[in-house]
Amino acid sequence: MDFFRKNCAIYDIIFSLKNYYAWSYLSYFDLKLKYRRTFLGPWWVVLGIAISATAMCLLWSTIFNLDWKNYLTYLFSGFIIWMWISQQVIDAPDVFSGVSSKYIKAYPNPPIFYVFRKCFLSFLLFLHHLPLIVIVVLLVNNRIESSVIYSLPIGLLIIFINAILFTVNIGMLSARYRDIDPLIKSLMPPMLLLTPVLWKPEMLGDYAHYIYFNPFTYFVGIIRNDLIGLDFDMTIWTGALIITLIQIFIYLFLYSRKSKRIVFWV
Amino acid sequence: MKAEIILKNVCLDFPVYDAESLSFRNKMSDMGKVIVTKTKKNNSGGKIIEGLRDINHIFQHGDRVALLGHNGSGKTTLLKLLAGIYSPTSGSIKKTGETNCMLDIGFGFEQDATGYENIILSNITRGLKKEEIDKILPEIVEFCGLGEFLNMPFRTYSSGMQARLAFSSAIANTPGILLIDEFFSTGDLEFSKKSKEKVLEMMSNSSILVFASHDLPLLKTICNKAICMKNGKVVFSGEASEVIEHYQGMYER
Repeated sequence: MDFFRKNCAIYDIIFSLKNYYAWSYLSYFDLKLKYRRTFLGPWWVVLGIAISATAMCLLWSTIFNLDWKNYLTYLFSGFIIWMWISQQVIDAPDVFSGVSSKYIKAYPNPPIFYVFRKCFLSFLLFLHHLPLIVIVVLLVNNRIESSVIYSLPIGLLIIFINAILFTVNIGMLSARYRDIDPLIKSLMPPMLLLTPVLWKPEMLGDYAHYIYFNPFTYFVGIIRNDLIGLDFDMTIWTGALIITLIQIFIYLFLYSRKSKRIVFWV
Repeated sequence: MKAEIILKNVCLDFPVYDAESLSFRNKMSDMGKVIVTKTKKNNSGGKIIEGLRDINHIFQHGDRVALLGHNGSGKTTLLKLLAGIYSPTSGSIKKTGETNCMLDIGFGFEQDATGYENIILSNITRGLKKEEIDKILPEIVEFCGLGEFLNMPFRTYSSGMQARLAFSSAIANTPGILLIDEFFSTGDLEFSKKSKEKVLEMMSNSSILVFASHDLPLLKTICNKAICMKNGKVVFSGEASEVIEHYQGMYER
């Protein structure tokens, strides 16, 4: 017990989980503020995604010469999950040095508390894009796998945990070294092209196994594959779990050493 | 449980980062240099400012401590250390009891949210539940005296009104340890009188008060102990009246 109390990497997580009420309320409020003074509110974004995904689907299925029905579910689900993940990655660098910095300097909540706030907001945003995937899958396939009941919540949880860990780790690094932020922002657009979101792995032919070098493959895969009725792929789930473990180690190493310094960096 | 804070040989250094030391690219190229030329460089790359030096002090139940010292002497740094925002570079701090700090009290406010919402938001950040806040909301609303303006977005407030709202939303909980930084300078005469009375009331419910201010007459009436600081060191501490005299003497000489 003493170890848990002394190690701030664990203690701060427990503190934040106990205070779930506070960060979930704040995220919910952030969401409300985001849509204040808009007429359609969140539906603008949903509409926008629907339009751009449909346009992309029409274009790419013609270019690749594909069966558009099959491709539509693939692209819709992949694109919406990608939007969540890439938003998490792009938001990660300024989690401490951005808006939260004035909180960190004024009140003794542990820094990771504000990571929960930010990640939960992105999660809420994703949740109201998720029905779009379900609707499209139901319209095109007329059915949805029953195993989604397990795989979807587990997948969401794994992505959420990884989002938290990634945001803390990158947030700390970029609070200290400010050039991480532009680096990540410039890396994300090409990552979209390198991840199997717009194209299918089998299109790569002999090079298909290269997708496993890309960590985003796993996170897009764990939610998408079951939703659109692809075969269960053990590699994807194992990969996601291994990345989670690696992230946990990096977190324990960085946060327990340097979390008390964050206030001087922001 | 009685609140208590024990500071033992506490030192706190502030790293100051310039553009060069904030760059990861520079860090990488520095690493390269170390390997190639084997010359050791200043490892942090930045300057260091001594915030606090060798602070030994025990705050006990019933202490109303005034923090004195000119600007930059380390008063706010000490308060933030007591609050748990900073942790010491060396030495130890042992704290029992819940803390309410009124330091940078404007935190937790969203520009687009209304006054009401901001009261709720800032108290949620302080760890209160919505139901608890609803109970004290009428008191806060009455205290801040902003009336209809509470339905307006925060960005439309004048700086005085912002200060009113900030102070009023911080009065909600009065746990064992109360830390207050000087802020009466904002707000009009009526409000600063009202807030002084409020602090007196909150103080009577708290176990330890640490109060940084330049308002010597006020400090004389509230505090029973005092600490005088200079350049991050405690130069004199003890009974409030003695320390305040000493502090005044420092400037008369």
